Formats: sequence, structure tokens, C-alpha cells
Amino acid sequence: MIAPAPPLVRAEELARSGDVARAVVAAHEALAAGDTGPRTHALLAEIFLAGDFFEPAIESATRAIELDPDCVPAYLSLGLAYDRRGGMWDQSVLVWHELAEVDPGLVVAHVQLGEAFFASGFETEAIEAWRQALTIDPHNARAMYNLAIAALRREGMATALPGFRKAGELDPSQDGFFFRLAGVYDHGVPAPDPDTVEADRVSRLEAAFALALEDDLFSAMDLVRLVLAEESDEADALALAGHLYLKQGAVLEAMAVALRALSVAPKTPIAVYVLGTAFARHSTLNRNAARVFGALASAVPDHPMSHVLNAESLLGLQRYGDARAAYERAVALDPTLVRARFGLAAALTIAGEHALARHEIRRAAYHDTRRAGEFWRLYDAYTAGEGGRNDS
Amino acid sequence: MVHDATEDLFRALAKRDPAKAIDVVERVRAGGMAQDRLFDQLFAPAMAVLGGAWADGELDEYSFTRAAAAADQITSFVTAPSAARDTGVTVVAGTMEGDSDAVDKDVTAAALTEAGHRVVDLGTGVRPAAFLERVGETGARIVLVFAQTMAAATAVVRVHEMLVAGGRDDVALLVSGGPFRADGRLAHAVGAAGVVNGAEEALEIVGRAARRGGGAG
Repeated sequence: MIAPAPPLVRAEELARSGDVARAVVAAHEALAAGDTGPRTHALLAEIFLAGDFFEPAIESATRAIELDPDCVPAYLSLGLAYDRRGGMWDQSVLVWHELAEVDPGLVVAHVQLGEAFFASGFETEAIEAWRQALTIDPHNARAMYNLAIAALRREGMATALPGFRKAGELDPSQDGFFFRLAGVYDHGVPAPDPDTVEADRVSRLEAAFALALEDDLFSAMDLVRLVLAEESDEADALALAGHLYLKQGAVLEAMAVALRALSVAPKTPIAVYVLGTAFARHSTLNRNAARVFGALASAVPDHPMSHVLNAESLLGLQRYGDARAAYERAVALDPTLVRARFGLAAALTIAGEHALARHEIRRAAYHDTRRAGEFWRLYDAYTAGEGGRNDS
Repeated sequence: MVHDATEDLFRALAKRDPAKAIDVVERVRAGGMAQDRLFDQLFAPAMAVLGGAWADGELDEYSFTRAAAAADQITSFVTAPSAARDTGVTVVAGTMEGDSDAVDKDVTAAALTEAGHRVVDLGTGVRPAAFLERVGETGARIVLVFAQTMAAATAVVRVHEMLVAGGRDDVALLVSGGPFRADGRLAHAVGAAGVVNGAEEALEIVGRAARRGGGAG
């Protein structure tokens, strides 16, 4: 394996930390030191892109691809640079198409290709690309959001709303909100082994939440049952049981335990959340969801997700203006919340404000790509492969 | 009585007997409870009892799941109908001749249909005469013309002229689209009664017509 030159390593560290200016300097030092391979140019493209310097990003990414036509991270940066610069949708489509051929299993290539097609007015091709993305990864929320917006444009909100809800279920923001309401955070410490948890209610409940955070649903439920065996009206335990039922698609069960929780402790936020989500997932109970999420948005006004959930239920009631206002509040609280951006795009589409809707879709795509850390994942894989290629 | 009914409903669900559960619902409704109160005052309390029975250990996991399935089967009996009632209002909608944009039309038409209005969607590139013909066939009193280009928007005056010439000046001509949003005078210039900005405004305007009974077709 070729050991990278120190300037390149420094440039990578600075780029990962977001220090664009110093990362550019370090990357140029790497080039001056003779590190002129595709990896350096791909890194430089990403650094320029992070600073919104689109033309230099295009130049660097193009150079990387000239040196190595299989440099996947460079394709990503090139396509993103074309997309964000604007007015270059034809080039963007070509790049994403090329990337999808270089790495056919790369979901983001198909998602981005769809978005480039959509921006160019080729909706049928866009839908095909997003469907291909879901074929590769059925849990890709962004492809689902895009398909829901396409369905909205063609067939209206009644047809599109289930798609938005499904995308929301796939979106990590949903569970994140539940645990935020429960006051449970991921501190990087693994959940305890259920067999070693202290046999008291508090310890068991804490461990159950920790296990649920790690998606160990069955172990979490085992501990919840132990808590309820001791105190069957423990509201937080009932609400957590509801969350676990929701994760397994057992909507009516979740509804029953959430209603029980609220009958003993009416102001348990996580029980309110579980009840609203159960209502939202049932085809005939959207009106009830709107009441519950409206109350939750009033009770938790400082979290964007409470407004997103409220907005989605308002869409189901055809209160599009109120839904738009709720989405706007969510975006104001967290401009990086992808689900809020896509939802706002839907509300703007219904209002006939298509230019603003497209802007929101572009912002959603930007933030989704960043939160997924796509570039660094591809760059690290490329770097690891580069060492292997040079060994052979 | 409602308390007894709640207990009866819970028992029926716990025994996985949807037929018995429906009987309970019907009994309560026959006793005078309005349809829109059944969920809050009967179903939800019974479900809370069901949740408590699971938490107490009175119901095991399997029984709880079966009871939930029974509850799912009766939700339509305790909720209002999900499909909106037919309002009797007919709207003829279409994108003006010379314009092929369908998005606003499709979104608005779908919203109006979902709200229970009858929408006759003529598609895109619609000739002025087609609006008049369809009004005659359906008895509609609202025509909604979409136009996203300036040329198509100004051409909407031909729809107005057609309606007047056909003796249908009782029909409300509404317009929608970017040109009308940008120039507030354009709608008046083409003889339109108003501008619809988005699906929600269309719902408000047509809803008002439905309540007045003036748009019945």
C-alpha cells in the first residue's frame, strides 16, 4: 500500500472537519509535492464543492476522471457541482448516467439521475430512475419522497400522501424524534446486555430505551414486560411498548397501549407521539392524527419534527395552507431537515408555486447528500481500493 | 350506559368477536350517540382497556394481536366515511389551447374530486368551444381554465366570448396560472370572474358555491 504524503492526509483531515480554506491550501501543497493522482483531484473537487466554488470543483473532478475513469467519488463531486451550479442539467444527466454505469449498485447515482431528469423536465425518465433506486435499496427515503412528489404532480395529494408517509417511516428523523421526546440520546455507549440489567423498574426501563435505540426490539420488549409486570400503569413503559409495536407494523396494538398510557398520564409526550403515528398509519384515522399532532406541535413547538408530523396530517385534511405554514416553521427551526424540505416542496406544488418547490427539492437533496456522508464513504472506499490496486 | 358499552366492546374484542363488537357499536348508535363521537367515546376507551389488559397480563401476546385484528375490522363502523359526500357541484376544468402544462390542473382537479365535487377534466390544449360543449352536457356552472404561458392566458378571453355567445353568462369563469398570478388585471381583462391560486383556493371557491347551491350541475 502506498503511504499517502503528509499534505494529502492533512488536506483530508481539514476537509472532513469543514475547514475549506486550509484544506484547499493543504491539497495544493499535496499537488506541489507530486501527489497528482486522481485521489488528490477528487479530494480537491469535494473541498471546492463544500465551499460552493463550482467551476474549480468541476475542473478538479474532471481532471480526476481523466486520470482514472473509475474514480467514483470524482463523479459524485462532478455531478453535484453541475447540479448546484445550475443551468447545466444536460451535463448533470450525463454524469449521473455515467456514474450509474461505473457503479450500477450505487443508489445515490440513480436518485441524483432522477433529480437531474426532473429538473430538466423529463418526468417519466426521472420516475424510472427513482424506481431503479428503490429496486437497489427499498429503504431509500429520498427516492420515495421524489416519487411522492411526482405522484402529487400527476394524480394529486390523495394518491401521493401514502408515499410521503412511507418515506417518513424510512427517514431517520422519525425515530430520532421519538427518542428526543423520551430524553434518550446516543452517547456512543452500547446498550447493556439485558441479562445483566439491575432488577429494578428504573434500570430496566432505561435499558429498554437503550436497546430500542439500537433497534433490538425484542430484547427491549422483554424488559418492558418486566417493568409492566411490576407496575402495569407505567406510562413511559406503555409508550415505549407502543413504539416497539409501531416498528413491527402492529398499528392497532400500538394504539391500544398508547391510549392506555394517556388514560393514566395524559401528558406523556411519547405516548402522544405514538398515538398520533398510529393514527397516521391507519388508512381511516387521519383526522384523529391531525388532532393529536396539532396538540403535540403546541406542546413541543421548538422541535421541527412536531411541525412536520402536524403538517403531514393537515395535508390529509386538505388544509394545504396550514400544512405549508407548519412545514415553514419546521424548516425555520432546522433548515437541514430533509423531510420538512420535501414536505414544503409538496405544499408549494399544491399552491402552484413550482419554482419555489424545485428550490426546496434542491435544498432537500443537498442536505440529504451531506447527512448521508456520500462523498467520504465513496472516497474511503476508493482510497482503500487504490492501495489494493497499487499492490497488485 | 357508555361505560357498560365500553366494557362490552372490550370484551368482544378480547374474545376476537368482531360481529359482537359491531353489535355493541350499533346498540350505542341506536341509543343516540352521533357517528362522529363513536371513536372518542366508545372505541378509544375500549382500546385503552384492551391495552391495559395486555399490560396487566390478562391478555397474552397472541390474544392481544387477535384482539387488535378484530378492532381493525370495526374501525370503519366508528369513524366517519373517508370518502367525501358528493356535493353536486360540477366543475369543467382544462388547460387552454396552446398550452400543454397539466400539473396545476391535475393537482387542483384531484383536490376538488377528493372533496366530493364532480370534475370534468378536459385535459390540455383545450379549444374554447370544448368548454362550452361540456358545460352544456353537464350543466356545470363553474369553468376553470389553466394557462401557464402569456399567449394562452390572453387567449382565455375566447372562452369567455364563447360562453357569452352561447347564452351561458351564468357560468362562472375562473382562471389559474402564473400569468394571472403575476398580473392582477389580466383575469379581468379576459372576462374571468376570479383567479384561483392553487388547489386550496379552488376548494374554498367551489366549496362556497356548493354551500350556496349556486354551482349545482
